[in-house]
Amino acid sequence: MNYDPMVPIWLQVVNRIKESIVTGRLLPGAKLPGGRDLAVQFEINPNTAARVYQELEREGLCETRRGLGTFITPEQSRIDALRERMALDALNRFLSSLKALGMTREDAAAMLNMKEE
Amino acid sequence: MFKLLKYEFRKTAFPKLVMLALTVLAEAAFLYGYFANKEDAMGTAVLFLVLLTLVGIALMGIMSLVILHRDMNTKQGYMLFMTPNSCYKILGAKVLECGLSLMLAGAFFFALAVLDMDLVLRREGVERIWDVFNQMLQTLNTRLEINVPNVLAVICYIVTSWLCTVTTAFLADVISSALLNGRKGNLFITFLLFLVLSYLIGKIVSLVPATGTIQAQFLYQSLISLGFAGLMYFVTAWIMEKYLSV
Amino acid sequence: MLESKNLTRKFGSKTAVDGVTLSLKPGHIYAMLGPNGSGKTTWMKMAAGLMKPTSGEVTFQGEPVGIASREQVAYMSTEPYFYAWMSIRDAGKYYEDFFADFSMSRFKDLLTRMDLEEDLKIRTLSSGMVAKMKIALTLSRDAKVYMLDEPFNGIDLLARDEIRTTILEAAREDKLLLLSSHLVEEMEAIADQAVFIRNGKLIEVRDLEELRETDGVSMADRYRMIFGHGEVN
Repeated sequence: MNYDPMVPIWLQVVNRIKESIVTGRLLPGAKLPGGRDLAVQFEINPNTAARVYQELEREGLCETRRGLGTFITPEQSRIDALRERMALDALNRFLSSLKALGMTREDAAAMLNMKEE
Repeated sequence: MFKLLKYEFRKTAFPKLVMLALTVLAEAAFLYGYFANKEDAMGTAVLFLVLLTLVGIALMGIMSLVILHRDMNTKQGYMLFMTPNSCYKILGAKVLECGLSLMLAGAFFFALAVLDMDLVLRREGVERIWDVFNQMLQTLNTRLEINVPNVLAVICYIVTSWLCTVTTAFLADVISSALLNGRKGNLFITFLLFLVLSYLIGKIVSLVPATGTIQAQFLYQSLISLGFAGLMYFVTAWIMEKYLSV
Repeated sequence: MLESKNLTRKFGSKTAVDGVTLSLKPGHIYAMLGPNGSGKTTWMKMAAGLMKPTSGEVTFQGEPVGIASREQVAYMSTEPYFYAWMSIRDAGKYYEDFFADFSMSRFKDLLTRMDLEEDLKIRTLSSGMVAKMKIALTLSRDAKVYMLDEPFNGIDLLARDEIRTTILEAAREDKLLLLSSHLVEEMEAIADQAVFIRNGKLIEVRDLEELRETDGVSMADRYRMIFGHGEVN
């Protein structure tokens, strides 16, 4: 596993799991591995793994059922909202990168339209 | 404790097996000489057997000492000292290994000597080999004569006094490894200490009066040696427990 | 759980560990960091009860380390320490003979995963294979404390992943892991605390995620700040 060592590891793992959720690799209601297994799977410290689940729960993307484990939220609406937030983040990053190159929103839009699939 | 002992035997196994192989060879030569009536071969074999007895018994103690030194002064010692065993047990296993090996070797060579003597004494004409040996011994020690109780007493005495010497060397080596670590001249000090201790113990053992039978005298001396071996063991283990770093 | 108070160890005129007061708690994986000769190995040997301190003390669960603590503290030395006659199987048997918490089935399982044959004589192994075997032996114990001195030394890139996984499998709420390594990057994600030691003195103990969140630096960056001369970023 490769991580950017300057960014909190829990954040990076949270983002990877979020990607798996929005792309459907992790389905709504799916069971997630226990904290220790998550740590082994992602090659991260078990305390970091615990932090990952805390964060996903705080954002309403996961829920822990006592004695059963942690599950992805079954509510599609939350997943849709997540996708929207992540898309918006990606867009903002795209825009700020172009802005750093001295391009306007219009330039960006024109380039986007011109770019062939 | 049994497990520690098992590994002490394992560590010293190879030279012992070599000694055993050599002894078997010498005994084979003796038997060949005996049955083929070749007195020269027999005489040489007997000489070798006597030599092997002495070297073999010496080797038992030296091996134990070498292993102890290695366990205290090389990384190999982690293997031993990381186990949850006190130094009393660790050293105890080493002293027991040495004592048992000496006893077994003593018993082995004694049995062999009795067997060979029995063979020889049954045959006329070859008896004079013993006369020659006895004459040789009488020039050295007028009181000693070759017979079974005497051989037993002598082997007993050799084994115990050697065990005492080895435990004295253990103490000297532990003092060197645990207390004088990394200092120059430390081997010299160790050796000096060993000599002084051995000399003192020898003096005390020789205080046993030369009255009564020679067997009784040897037996008393053996007991005193054993007592000193025990004392050395306790002092050595105490120093290891308190000061030894590996 | 494992504490040292004013721990000092001198070798002649050289002070290897210099008044280190350190308290390590269960549920954490500590990375012990410092250049060669900074005193990491010496600290660990004293904590393992193999070496006697010049002054100060190490306690395990409140008691001075010794025979009792060795039952629950699994120490892996960086130097090879096996008897010349041993095969990998013999080494496993030795651990089984002396450590009640050693699991032979776990050991065999780890050997398979690490591609090691039990029949091999240890003295014929490459340094990487010995390193893997040492990890397998040590982590097959169900100890309370694992102290691994340079677990990644001599191990190739691919096998390092296996080592990391094995280490993480041993981690539990009630267990304490202490790893030392020159390969700082290997420990970035698996450790959660870093213990920095220089010239035998404790510099600091840092929570790594906190370090990244508040200072925006990695463990390796912090290492360079403390031990190097160059400024980071």
